[in-house]
Amino acid sequence: MTSSAKICTNGATSNGLKKRLHFCSDFDRSIVINTFLRHGWKEVSPEGDWNIYWSNTLNCRNLFMENRHRLQDNQLINHFPNHHELVRKDLLVKNFNRYRKELERNNHPLAEKIQVRDPSGRTVTRYLYLDFIPTTYILPTDYNLFLEEYRKSPQTTWILKPCGKSQGAGIILINKLSQLKKWSRESKKYLQHQLTSKDTYVISRYIDNPLLIGGKKFDLRIYVLVTSYRPLKAYMFRNGFCRFCSMKYDKSLTELDNVYVHLTNVSVQKHGEEYNESHGGKLGIQNLKLYLQGTRGSDVTKRLFEDIQWLIVHSLKAVAPVMLNDRHCFECYGYDIIIDTDLKPWLIEVNASPSMVGTTENDRILKNRLVDNILSVVLPPNGIPDARWNKTPSSDALGDFDVLIDEDLIYKDNIAQLARETGQGPMRK
Amino acid sequence: MADGVSPLVWKEEREISFMSKCHKAMKEKGLDTKLRNTVFHWVRTQNKQSKLDPLTSLTKASVQWEKRIHKSLNSMCSDLETSLAKFRFQSELEELAEKWNELSTYNLDLSKYRPVYAPKDFLEVLITLSGYVPFTKEDEPKWEFAHLPLQVKTLDQLRKIYIEWSNGEPLLGVSPNMPSQVNDFPTLEAERIGLGERVAALGYAPVIQEYLKRGSPQCLRAKLWAQVLGAEVSAQQISYFNQLKRSVLEVDLMIDKLIFKDVQLTASNDDQYFVFEDLLYQVMLCFSRDCEVMQQLRGSTGTPLTVAIKGRQTSADSVTVFPPSGIIPFHGFTMYATPFCYLYDDPVQLYFMFRAFYLRYWHRLHYISTHPQGIVSLCLLYERLLESNEPLLWIHFRNINVNPGHLPPEQLLLLWDSILGYDCLEILPLLSLAILSFRKENIFQVNTLQNVDAVLADLSTISVIPLLQLALMKP
Ligand SMILES: Nc1ncnc2c1ncn2[C@@H]1O[C@H](COP(=O)(O)OP(=O)(O)O)[C@@H](O)[C@H]1O
Ligand SMILES: [Mg+2]
Repeated sequence: MTSSAKICTNGATSNGLKKRLHFCSDFDRSIVINTFLRHGWKEVSPEGDWNIYWSNTLNCRNLFMENRHRLQDNQLINHFPNHHELVRKDLLVKNFNRYRKELERNNHPLAEKIQVRDPSGRTVTRYLYLDFIPTTYILPTDYNLFLEEYRKSPQTTWILKPCGKSQGAGIILINKLSQLKKWSRESKKYLQHQLTSKDTYVISRYIDNPLLIGGKKFDLRIYVLVTSYRPLKAYMFRNGFCRFCSMKYDKSLTELDNVYVHLTNVSVQKHGEEYNESHGGKLGIQNLKLYLQGTRGSDVTKRLFEDIQWLIVHSLKAVAPVMLNDRHCFECYGYDIIIDTDLKPWLIEVNASPSMVGTTENDRILKNRLVDNILSVVLPPNGIPDARWNKTPSSDALGDFDVLIDEDLIYKDNIAQLARETGQGPMRK
Repeated sequence: MADGVSPLVWKEEREISFMSKCHKAMKEKGLDTKLRNTVFHWVRTQNKQSKLDPLTSLTKASVQWEKRIHKSLNSMCSDLETSLAKFRFQSELEELAEKWNELSTYNLDLSKYRPVYAPKDFLEVLITLSGYVPFTKEDEPKWEFAHLPLQVKTLDQLRKIYIEWSNGEPLLGVSPNMPSQVNDFPTLEAERIGLGERVAALGYAPVIQEYLKRGSPQCLRAKLWAQVLGAEVSAQQISYFNQLKRSVLEVDLMIDKLIFKDVQLTASNDDQYFVFEDLLYQVMLCFSRDCEVMQQLRGSTGTPLTVAIKGRQTSADSVTVFPPSGIIPFHGFTMYATPFCYLYDDPVQLYFMFRAFYLRYWHRLHYISTHPQGIVSLCLLYERLLESNEPLLWIHFRNINVNPGHLPPEQLLLLWDSILGYDCLEILPLLSLAILSFRKENIFQVNTLQNVDAVLADLSTISVIPLLQLALMKP
């Protein structure tokens, strides 16, 4: 960057967030902008001398690719340059599979495998601690592998998702091979072998036994803030929520293409007849916890929430080696997680730009707090962005974030103890 | 006698040994706990007021209030050209039966139905109980209930009842993460879970009641609450519930619409309870058909209507008490059931807990009587507490009945622990006082009643138990 970024301080105040910073945002109606303005910060253009840029993923990638800017120490941006390694559905699976293979090659205790019986009575081999992404194949590349798996248990339902889309768009449920063949004929996708990400799909085992409350399916939206990949520093926001379907869950074939039964995206549900604007289908995660403790007991509930943390940490570790760990970057991910009837969490996908629009009053309050807390974690105590800072926020600065992992702290603590602990990770057998 | 043992003594010894054997056998089979619990629950249901209310002014008000409700029910019926009770057509019955588990999809036009009354209406009746207004200067508190010759407790007396709280004993609702005072447990919460599990296994209601005083962990509540109220579910309860369901399906009562409306107005739009909507329809509808409710409350509630059920040849069974439970729901009635949704996902268990709680406690808030746990006494208690502890803080007690919907479920559950533990409702006026004192600064800053209401309306950030314990501990 040619002109160095400017910072106007209000002199007297010592509180970090009182500094008058410059920000830039690619989003119009967003809680992010409101929060920045509430702090008294000034909006500038992407070419301006911003201190914090809340960009969309495309602009962020361009900014790093074009390399026309060298970011200054006092500039932060809200994405890592190659975040797609985590958030694109096919790449997440690729990276995660590679991570497990590597651990296995090194005879790491985390890569332990066991034999289990699947619902059809077939004996299958599973990772003991790292089995939390539903079996997934990338199409068209893995089509033959998929066929092989399909034939082994033909009664499984699969979910087909385009890698280049989001918000539930283009998703179909499949329980007969003919449906997939028909789809591929129509879209001519796998015949043409044009491997752009737009034409890439994933097909995953459909979790057909989701935990239901009031008879309805839901998934969790959990916010995870990463401030560094090497060392890994990640924080989980305490106030995630459940996103409920507006219609009762129904496994029957006739409802297989009913998105209001199967897809929990708010962007899908809000078009439904049963959608309710005052709650938006969102139940706070603390209330989910209360409900599970009350109806299922505290041990299984505690276990579930530990498993969720475990899942997040290992999804991040899986991509950490390939991430460009630029010190100007932080990223707040929206994790989509489904809990099944055995209270086992499954990672569905990770989003790099989770919606920052409040759908209800409480949603607005929650997201305001989220952005506030993100800022206080990524800014050093003096409130001025500093890429050279060691990124170790005080416990006060965490707000509603809990530390998921901070490898700086861990290494300082005791490496030997870590080895012991990860050897007996919390995932169930 | 030569051998020195008289036959009498011998007989006695034999009896004693028989008794102790008996006792032992019962213990082994868990029968003694059952027997003792039965006695406990029986005794608790017997101390009802059966004699007439000694205060004629109250009796009169209570009768008038009931008349008013019946009148408004009847006029709503004639306005809407419907009847209070009618048999459902077969098609309607079938549709309702089919949708029993998702009644939110049962389409009803409710636009013309209005709640019969709201808590505020009832409060107004209470305020104008005898038309007696003490002479006061403009800017002085007007104590509304002071003239009623009822005995209520002072704060000091409450301190003696809530002795654990006023002694500053560690409460789960105050600091679950504080270090435990008992060895082997890292935190108070762990200690309470450990103790609670033993208490639950013992299953003896008075012990459970004692335990609840200091708060139950959420994971044990479902069990402990059912045990302390004797509301456990067995085959008998299940078949009784199905009977209630049957009568919902067969007969269309006008208040069914009011129930639907109330669930819609309270739970369906609330982001803490919307997921439980379908459960609540079932529970609230069945409750209205439950004639055991009326039987158990006989004497402490009024005299319900009796109406003919339209639509079939008149026969003996086509007359019904309206509603069979004798309880006409008001706006917000469903909120007495909503917190249980965080404990029970089975409608039958949810139903019997809700019913037991209503029968023991909540009905007292809706009938004008002189009972020490009744709404009038609680209002008076509130007023006296305010007068002697916050004399400067005057407010028309709009908030005697803290609207439960405004507290988050976790807080409500903790509050209800204490109602069960101390088996009384005096905690409610005390809470109102505590909230008022807590928000005192803000209240003094606003001057219209509306603004005062606004200051008090948002209770979402309040931790009730610490507030209450603070109020009970000596300064
Ligand atoms: N494997 C699965 N099993 C069950 N439900 C799934 C699965 N994958 C996706 N879903 C449902 O579909 C929704 C959308 O899928 P997702 O992978 O998040 O794609 P999108 O990017 O369109 O949001 C999820 O929120 C979830 O409700
Ligand atoms: Mg998604």
